[in-house]
Amino acid sequence: MHVFATLVAAPSTVTDGAETVAVLVLLSQYAMFRAGLSRSQVRLYAFQSLSVSALALIVAATRHIGELYVLAGLSLLLKVILVPSVIMRVLKEVRGDLAGSHRFGVATMVLCAIVLSVFGVFVVEGMPIHSKSLPLPALALAAAVVLVAFLLVIVRSDVVSQAVGFFSLENGVSVASLVLAAGLPFIAEVAFLFDLLVAVVVFGLLMRVHHGRAATLSTRHLERLRG
Amino acid sequence: MASAHVIALRGGKVSGTELDPAEIQVLQDLTILAFAPFVSGAIAHFEARLQGRRGPRILQPYYDIAKLFRKETLVPEDASFVFLVCPVVAIACYLTVPLLIPVLTNYPLPLGYMGDILGGGFILALAGFAVALGAAETGGPYAQLGSSRAMTFGALIEPSILFVTFTVALVTTTDLPYFEAAAVRSSFAQFVHPAHLLAALAFFLVVLSDTGRIPVETHASTLEFGMIDEARTLEHSGPPFALLKWGSAMKQMILYVILINVFVAPWGLAGSGQLGAVLLAIPVFLGKALGIGAVFAVIDNSFSKLRLFKITEFMAAAFLIAVLAVLVLYLVGR
Amino acid sequence: MAGVLVALLVLPLAASLSSWWARPALTRALTLVSGVATFALALALVPSTGVTAAFGGWLRADSLSIVFLLAVAFLYAATAVFSLGYVRQGEETPEARRYTRRFFAGLNLFAWAMVAAPLMGSLALLWVAIEVTTVVSALLVAIDDTDGAVEAAWKYVLIASMGLGIALLATLVMYYAGTSALGSSNELFYAKLLGAAHGFSPEVVRLSFGLAVLGFGTKMGLVPVHTWLPDAHSEAPTPVSALLSGALLTVSFYAILRFYEVSVRAVGPAFPRDVLLVFGLASLGLAALYLADQRDLKRLLAYSSVEHMGILAIGMSFSAPVAVVGVLLHVLAHAAGKSTAFFGAGSVVRKFGTKELHRVRGVVSALPWSGPMLLLAVLALSAMPPFGLFRSEFLIVEGGLSSQATALSAVLVVLVTVAFLGLSWHASEAMLTPMPEGTVRGETSAWMVGAMVVGMIALVVLGVHPPSQLSELITHAAGELGGAR
Repeated sequence: MHVFATLVAAPSTVTDGAETVAVLVLLSQYAMFRAGLSRSQVRLYAFQSLSVSALALIVAATRHIGELYVLAGLSLLLKVILVPSVIMRVLKEVRGDLAGSHRFGVATMVLCAIVLSVFGVFVVEGMPIHSKSLPLPALALAAAVVLVAFLLVIVRSDVVSQAVGFFSLENGVSVASLVLAAGLPFIAEVAFLFDLLVAVVVFGLLMRVHHGRAATLSTRHLERLRG
Repeated sequence: MASAHVIALRGGKVSGTELDPAEIQVLQDLTILAFAPFVSGAIAHFEARLQGRRGPRILQPYYDIAKLFRKETLVPEDASFVFLVCPVVAIACYLTVPLLIPVLTNYPLPLGYMGDILGGGFILALAGFAVALGAAETGGPYAQLGSSRAMTFGALIEPSILFVTFTVALVTTTDLPYFEAAAVRSSFAQFVHPAHLLAALAFFLVVLSDTGRIPVETHASTLEFGMIDEARTLEHSGPPFALLKWGSAMKQMILYVILINVFVAPWGLAGSGQLGAVLLAIPVFLGKALGIGAVFAVIDNSFSKLRLFKITEFMAAAFLIAVLAVLVLYLVGR
Repeated sequence: MAGVLVALLVLPLAASLSSWWARPALTRALTLVSGVATFALALALVPSTGVTAAFGGWLRADSLSIVFLLAVAFLYAATAVFSLGYVRQGEETPEARRYTRRFFAGLNLFAWAMVAAPLMGSLALLWVAIEVTTVVSALLVAIDDTDGAVEAAWKYVLIASMGLGIALLATLVMYYAGTSALGSSNELFYAKLLGAAHGFSPEVVRLSFGLAVLGFGTKMGLVPVHTWLPDAHSEAPTPVSALLSGALLTVSFYAILRFYEVSVRAVGPAFPRDVLLVFGLASLGLAALYLADQRDLKRLLAYSSVEHMGILAIGMSFSAPVAVVGVLLHVLAHAAGKSTAFFGAGSVVRKFGTKELHRVRGVVSALPWSGPMLLLAVLALSAMPPFGLFRSEFLIVEGGLSSQATALSAVLVVLVTVAFLGLSWHASEAMLTPMPEGTVRGETSAWMVGAMVVGMIALVVLGVHPPSQLSELITHAAGELGGAR
């Protein structure tokens, strides 16, 4: 509960704002998890990335890290504009079967997501971590985002959901990096974004190949390889 | 109730514009009683306008209720006296709850300590139970269908209400609605606190479900299969039906009061017992209620109703948000 | 020596880039030259027991990284030779040319990323290099464009990328652990981390190590996060399977070892070893069982890889230095053995037109050279003397016994024996039976046989008498890994 104490002792509007944005990141993760339509998932992903960029901006402004402005701009360009538009383009070429790839009941899965996020939050809360850039709750929320992203990939059976799940995992990691490592070597951060770019290309390519072969975006028939 | 009236009568002797707390308390009830049909009518009118229709008059609910009071009462053959008592019990419940919540004043009135949010919730649930019981009494298939559905979904939305209450309790260390409202008023930071926003959102969803709005129910439909709340009153007629209609408008108003004056916009309430201030609080509240009502109407027009078995997903979402509110509060602190 | 590091990074990249433009014949030649030269450069680094660094520490090679570099470079060279036979020549259709171009560009780029990984001086760049390997190899897995290949590639890229997301989290947490002692401008250089590790917060380092094993373990093929591995190995083109199994998995193991080094210094040996032991036992146990019930030749070899990754993890969990020496030797021997086996499997698939074990019969008679060598390679993978894997597993068990882990050593031996039974049962059934009528006796390509010969030589050399400089290098690297405590 030490976190509790320190934050109550020294509240500030900026960190409050940061927390609200971090909560938005998690909320959009849940929304992605629930969303039936691939298109709305991609839009939610764009919104989540926008929140992450906003967080980067907040950190840049409060701690005066010039590089972070660049990083926020790059991630805005890449994750809010480029990645969603690439996936949207793939979707545009596809007609039909965009909805409802839940393997289990949504309500059940939402309860699982709640349990997972509570787990993530408590694990991180127990860590002796103090951050100068962002309040620790953001890290706990990032952990929850990562876990729910995993669940999303597991319980959805279409390539778009799975790709979006992976990208939102990266968003969670981005938030964690803002909390833990606001001064991480710039080159590593840029490399991270570059990787994301390449991942988009690979995912986009594979999605298209997959659709070309199977004429569907569902992954239900991808179970030939077993054992 | 009875003691409140006694106090009110004695308070009437106090001269000047300073109102006795008991008088204010009565005024709260009267506000709900008098203006609930107005708010319902205004929302229905606005909704019709959104759909490009001219819609009913804003005062139509009053005319409906007045007409029903003039009609005879028909009781199904198999129904007992419970059928007729239930609407009265419901309206009594709806008259009790406004005594507990901040309708007009921003400071707690004496009877405000009589029950907390949970207490108010119980009384509302009792009203719901009474209506369901009355419906079950008739033996009519649709009425029974409606009452069983209403009880089921009522039970499913209950956890969300509980978690919203927990949030309030964690913020204020009480679960009296007055203190939550005061906490929200206290600073902007408190207002944009993620936990508060989440709790407000969760409660918004609860209201959406409890007032029978899309995506849970099409509140103005005549299609029995999708009905939940509406189906329960199908067998009623005459004055008891008028009470039920009135009661449902009051329930909606009460929920709006809690949503607005506790969570979303607890401003514009009377800060003292001055007659002018208290009377001014009425139109201010009505304005806010119409604003929220407009939001509900827009939602009604922009989404489609969920299939019955998908409603649990809606409930799960509300629950998720409510849990998240508690979680965030635990993490972030007050 | 710094020049060697730069050359190692330039060569495969140049070969990859030129593959896009050059004619097929030239591409083949360039790939061969690049592969052999990379191996030669790696060999040149063996005698240097100190630390070679360039570009202010961003490039760095110590004994540990040279061991892994050797494994990667050897596989690169062997695979380059094998690929010359695997990718058919002479068909000058546009499709064939495009395939050749893509294949060699991808192969060289894949090798480049894996050569780069052990040379990175910082945990952040190590992560980047490994992420690049995922991206490139996923495209290589899908290159055949069959249903199976696309399915395997999708699973692979998704699961491995998620795993690497976790690994990135581990890297970030390690960075945070470092800020307490090194300030916020530390670049996650190993040298600095190792020096200051004893001052790190133990809880944070434990979290980081756990995440690292889970994350990089996904790419290494540790159970239960191995699920992509058999699919990708069986559906990829054979040279890519060999690289995946021999080099990619070990490079991921290298990343885990880097975290291990820091963690041992920060929190003591108990926690990292326990984590590795759990994952190792799960991998070895499950793989041993799966080996008994395989119907696909390449999947059989893939599960054997899971088994050997499990052995590596268990070996690291024994605290004795001799076990660590065994682990590092095992990395090299497994690279040689598994690549030889995959090359043999490639010849079999080419000859019989199927990977299904029950339709492959009489390999030894049908393929006069690669048949017997495949059989020997499978025996080597089952840790038969006189091959390198016998020596390394012997050392690991010896280390286990000397560190009072008798029961664990016994379990290890039992599980390896179970794996041996499964592997040799299937192998002997497919190989020592009479060949089906109508099969023509003969090899399909001299290049493919040549690659196997190279692998067999390496296996025997490592088993009979490793060169003294190599032994010194491994001992030195094991000393680095052993930690200060």
